[in-house]
Amino acid sequence: MRVVFVPSTLALLPAYASIDDPISDLREAVDAAVAWLLEEGPATALWGSGSAHRIAEHLLGERGGHGPGLLVVANGSATRTEKAPGHLDERAAGFDAAVGKALAEGDQAALAAIDTDLADELWAMPDADVLRKVAGRVGPVTDVHVDYDDAPYGVQYWVVRWQCGS
Amino acid sequence: MTLKLGRHEFPDDVTLMMAIVNRTPDSFYDKGATWAEDKAFDRVAEVVDQGAEIVDIGGIKAAPGAFIDEDEEKRRVVSFVERVRGAHPGLVISVDTWRSSVGRAVCEAGADVLNDAWGGADPALVDVAAEHDAAIVCTHTGGATPRTRPFRIEYDDVVASAIADVTAYAERAVAAGVDRRSVVIDPAHDFGKNTFHSLELTRRLDELVATGWPVLVSLSNKDFVGESLDLPVGERLTGTLAATAISALAGARIYRVHEVVETRQVVDMVSTIAGRRPPRRAIRGLA
Repeated sequence: MRVVFVPSTLALLPAYASIDDPISDLREAVDAAVAWLLEEGPATALWGSGSAHRIAEHLLGERGGHGPGLLVVANGSATRTEKAPGHLDERAAGFDAAVGKALAEGDQAALAAIDTDLADELWAMPDADVLRKVAGRVGPVTDVHVDYDDAPYGVQYWVVRWQCGS
Repeated sequence: MTLKLGRHEFPDDVTLMMAIVNRTPDSFYDKGATWAEDKAFDRVAEVVDQGAEIVDIGGIKAAPGAFIDEDEEKRRVVSFVERVRGAHPGLVISVDTWRSSVGRAVCEAGADVLNDAWGGADPALVDVAAEHDAAIVCTHTGGATPRTRPFRIEYDDVVASAIADVTAYAERAVAAGVDRRSVVIDPAHDFGKNTFHSLELTRRLDELVATGWPVLVSLSNKDFVGESLDLPVGERLTGTLAATAISALAGARIYRVHEVVETRQVVDMVSTIAGRRPPRRAIRGLA
């Protein structure tokens, strides 16, 4: 099965479109990964907040529902810089690096071990809890492709594709 | 409906800046600053840089003054239009004239729009627009003779009069063969109107927009702004921009202006508030 991770930024929603897209690179990566996800059929979504749910519905459209794919809508901390939504927390970079490493290596055990108390302080909840729940839902990861890994507005975004065994 | 201004087409949701470029020694605002042709040419380049989609070139000031015959008007504008056409192929060139003979000459030189500020004083102007596939701006003057000041003019309802006249003019243009997409209406603030009339037109501009014809407004530094605030020419920008904001909210499409940058910002901001234009770049609170 295929799994795709995308961030839960509201900027992905058409209702919040600008003339000059502030997340054009991210959107391109998201669109490419979701297209890959849907190549094998419809996908289920995993999300932790109302806005993340809306993003999942927007991205999957009529292809949402029961199917072989899994779309995980979650991002990392929102405390990476002084201008980040949650201001700067020095622990955020390390937290995001660890989660990013787990995603890039298909390491489900590491995802399951995310510290949700720390995540809460880094404005990464409920998304961190969503990432934890991926572990155990999917088979072993056989291939990974990282489309995006950056924090342009002080919020850590990933777009990652997992190919999983059954 | 698409707006077709001569060679150029625009989608029906865009607003356009029409920058005033005078080829006159005596216009009220610039007092001859672009009377020298090279100065006027530089002014065109400047407003293009500032984002103006249209220039409106005029060879005769609107207010009473020295008589300018057709030959002199042509000398002022025709070769200039040709020069601007050559230098700025993407620019919409409008010429402010009421004379069909001048209209014909400027269309042959590359003009896209005939801005008939005097409301059909020369009935053959629409035929010229049709012949050259040019756009025409149909204004309301209450029947005023070109280059006269309003004197004790009254209307039962100035907005109703403006709508009746400009829509009749628009239909006359279409009947003459002008493309329906190339007809613009302008209630012509201060032309055949006192300050109270121009204020009412501003306040009720939505009624002109509701006719379905694209609306042009020419508000820039005019006397109704000056009298409303008791300010001379040169101190009317803020008042002009307030009237611009009201017009933008009502849905005006083309803004004939001296100050392109300021007007563009006001129109974009109002269009964005009205939900007709997205923000340029919004991420705060969304990331």
